[in-house]
Amino acid sequence: MKQKEEEQRKRYVMVVELKKCFNCKGCVVACRAENRVPLPVSRNWIDESGVRGKYPFLGMTFEPSACNHCEDPPCERVCPTGATFRSPEGIVLVDDRKCVGCKYCILACPYDARSVNHRDRVIEKCTFCKHRLPEGRTPACVETCMGHARHFGDILDPNSEVSRLLGEKDRFVKKKEAGTRPAFYYVY
Amino acid sequence: METHDWGWLIVIYLFFGGLGAGAYFVSGLATYLGNKTTYRSIARWGAYLAPFPIIIGSGLLIFDLFRPWNFYRLFLTIQLTSPMSIGSWILMAFSGVSLINAFLWVPRETKERLSSKKWLKRWKGLVDWSWEPTTQERLRSVFAALGLPLSVGVALYTGILLGAIPARPFWNTPMLAQLFLFSGISTGTAAVIVLTSFTREHALTGDQDAKLLYTMDILLICLEMLIIVPFLLHAYLATASIKNSLHLILGGPYTFLFWGVVVLGGLLIPLLVEIYEIYPMVFKKHMHHSRALEVASGILVLVGGLTLRYVFVFGGQLSAFDPKVASLGLGMP
Repeated sequence: MKQKEEEQRKRYVMVVELKKCFNCKGCVVACRAENRVPLPVSRNWIDESGVRGKYPFLGMTFEPSACNHCEDPPCERVCPTGATFRSPEGIVLVDDRKCVGCKYCILACPYDARSVNHRDRVIEKCTFCKHRLPEGRTPACVETCMGHARHFGDILDPNSEVSRLLGEKDRFVKKKEAGTRPAFYYVY
Repeated sequence: METHDWGWLIVIYLFFGGLGAGAYFVSGLATYLGNKTTYRSIARWGAYLAPFPIIIGSGLLIFDLFRPWNFYRLFLTIQLTSPMSIGSWILMAFSGVSLINAFLWVPRETKERLSSKKWLKRWKGLVDWSWEPTTQERLRSVFAALGLPLSVGVALYTGILLGAIPARPFWNTPMLAQLFLFSGISTGTAAVIVLTSFTREHALTGDQDAKLLYTMDILLICLEMLIIVPFLLHAYLATASIKNSLHLILGGPYTFLFWGVVVLGGLLIPLLVEIYEIYPMVFKKHMHHSRALEVASGILVLVGGLTLRYVFVFGGQLSAFDPKVASLGLGMP
């Protein structure tokens, strides 16, 4: 029985292939449409590295970003009511019934991935589109990505696309020194 | 982060939290050090003052919540890793203890005067409630003992609340808790200095009382300076994120407020004024008695304490880990 549970255990991660992202912001729009996120709030965004290197060897990367679904999330640690929690699949979520709206989590997040949704009076954050996952669909940002830069899947499954990508290439995470062990990886 | 998620209400709450805790701390200390005649007015006025800033501050805190109808959820759980959860419980305990303590210090004559008032008729039972004088003395001591650690807890927690967040490097130092503790007790002492300088008892036992208050405040201001200097040194010698966050007070938008208002106006000038007031004590057993100076130094300390919290709450939210992008520092793809 225990072994069966172990086999069913999942750990969802996002992997972005930087060379394939061309900053079309389709993921930002898709997320807004899918999750009905009101302006000016957004659950995801794209960081630009700016031009780097020395002429003639110049380059620039676009880094789609959102909640990093950390393994050790600072937002969960500081939450005074236990409203922020990690699901068994490693998705960091907010239980609105428990949330008092103190905004401590917003300040504690090194990625500034949380914000205040004034329309619905909730704390807005990426959920990895958890409502789509049981249907076998990927998050809206992944599904819409034209350059196929985004990949989503279970890192504990050695045959998944994300496992293969992370195994083949050098991987990076944002703000590693924060020590939060993010589930949002970047590869070239 | 361009926006401020925590604003003025939090600044005022942190200030009031420290102020109430400080007033209780001074009052409790005076209860122990004093007897029937000495330090009475400090103990009494400190006890009167303590609950109100705390209760008003807690009210502001609930008012600042984004989903205030859920606030009772704070008291259905204890989250040991969340400073805010532990702080809420300490705050609740402290509010209760400080209210009862204030009631214990109301003198008999005042109670008699109050119980004859018509508008207090409904509360007559409460107003008339009194103990044998010896029991009352003992109760005051018990409440001083109960409240002293709680008051330290409240003042300390206001700093830990900010300091426990690694994502804001300007806050994330173990020294912030101590800075807020000493500053909170200092503002409480200053408020008691201002209050007692207007009371009748002050003229009678003034020198002893003033000596205690000034000695405490001088000590606390020195302790604050002893935190601020290592705070700057530590931050300057720490990782890039922390070092860069110092820009906020070294040339950045909060430079004048920090150096001009907090350090010079709120610490150094009151320190000099208080030393000037107290130094004849060393030779002649009396001191410069100037109500204007007393009130001025007290108000300067209060303004400095409020500004300190403003600088940290607003400034700290602007600080963040660098760099923003994952691939910075990498070779060209």
